[in-house]
Amino acid sequence: MRRTGGKKSIPAMKGTAPAKKKAAAAKKTKRKAAATTKKRTRPTGQPDVRMADPSLFAPFTVGERADALRILTEDKRLASMSKVGRYRVVSVEPAPVKPPHERAGRRMASVVVYDYSQERCVDAHVDLDHSEVAHLEFTKSQPMLAHAEEAAAISVALSDDRVKEKLALGDEPRVAMHYWSNEETDVIHGRRAAAVVFGQPGATPSLVAVVDLLSNSVAEVVEADQW
Amino acid sequence: MSNASNGTPNVISKCNWTVHYRMTESAGLTIYLTDYRGHRVVWEAELPYVTVDHQAQDLELDDTASHDHGPFWVPLGHRTQASEIACNDFRGGFELTVDFSAGVYEYTQIWRFHEDGRLAPWLTIHGGGLHAAHTYHPHWRFDFDVDGAGHDAVERFDGSRWNRVAQEGWFLYTGDADTDGAVWRQIDFGSGASVSIRPHHWEDAELFAIAHRMHDAAPSPHSAAGAPTYPAAYVGNAALDGIDVALWYVAHVHYDDAFPFTAGPWLRVDGF
Repeated sequence: MRRTGGKKSIPAMKGTAPAKKKAAAAKKTKRKAAATTKKRTRPTGQPDVRMADPSLFAPFTVGERADALRILTEDKRLASMSKVGRYRVVSVEPAPVKPPHERAGRRMASVVVYDYSQERCVDAHVDLDHSEVAHLEFTKSQPMLAHAEEAAAISVALSDDRVKEKLALGDEPRVAMHYWSNEETDVIHGRRAAAVVFGQPGATPSLVAVVDLLSNSVAEVVEADQW
Repeated sequence: MSNASNGTPNVISKCNWTVHYRMTESAGLTIYLTDYRGHRVVWEAELPYVTVDHQAQDLELDDTASHDHGPFWVPLGHRTQASEIACNDFRGGFELTVDFSAGVYEYTQIWRFHEDGRLAPWLTIHGGGLHAAHTYHPHWRFDFDVDGAGHDAVERFDGSRWNRVAQEGWFLYTGDADTDGAVWRQIDFGSGASVSIRPHHWEDAELFAIAHRMHDAAPSPHSAAGAPTYPAAYVGNAALDGIDVALWYVAHVHYDDAFPFTAGPWLRVDGF
């Protein structure tokens, strides 16, 4: 890109200025603008996103997924989590990095884990080509539910007496939604939770059970039409 | 068309487009490394969240016992995929479609590619829900690399002209639009090419413009208890002029809209 004169206005769109005029203007200001233009021109000789390798985006094989998790759990910073073993793997997905980042062109994985022992989200980027954790962050965010957490929430809800009492004949768990409450006074505020929706297939839902996944208990039972 | 579901990357080249696509665990059918007329336009574009808010019914003014249950969601991805990915040709283009089913919620995700440079990332919401008073919030994340990353700027149409967005922020659709209906656009300084975004008139759309980071697509909108959700939680004060930018388009579809409702913007590539 050539922006002469140091203006910050939008560059002319293609076709709005004749090429000859552009060339003449560029020639006229050649000396003065040379240094500036050089700075503003797209760097050459560096890897470019236009040359990115599509295979870096490909879904992981079973082995790649296992590799990413193995590298992560071997990291010393996660020793306590790995030892206690109260965590759920939420997602392992390809996360290629753009050039000119030093890890561009490598097979990278985004791994998200929920660590129940410390009620935290572990957000990591793993470099599979170098077998190392490239980035590790602990947050209080609530990632989506792992498949096992959805199953656990349904199981907890189905065994709760208040839920059993309110279910009608033919009601069944339809879906376990990832849920959080906006109210600070709510018992599940800031906790790992799911909302299990019950009803008959094809019909309007009848009941919602809020499951606290930290304590494996039902925190609230709500008629669906009152949700 | 099932390869994208089992691990093999898929690519389609026709109608001036080259599109890679894959099914994800949490962001629906994602397209990546997408070119138009041989020029890179998209690094990655996805549908990370579709949250649903239900509003309590039969509220009285003095009702202090009412309880706001906040949003909930289930990711669109392998777990909720309900059909094979289909590629259909239509006059002047082609489209990728896939169905998702999550209990009482059903969706069809669509990517439409027109040979004239239009691109439509859409989501058909088939209604349902726990009761009538609820709102869907599909979130699209667009990581455009218009003729390469960086050297880009974001603009919004304000009143009668395009204005440069200086720093990260949240930009509502206020009704102002250019003659093509576009409200926001990302421009590449080098080529002069742009991708403009025309929102759906009925979905109260908003756009978040955020400096590209390595970690700006968390697998959940929840950032922390009581804190803003993503992508709002990503918004800081970073300057946007000349850098690589990620755009989030968030639609708000109320249940009183006619269903099925197809949400999502029109995108248009110009300058290539």
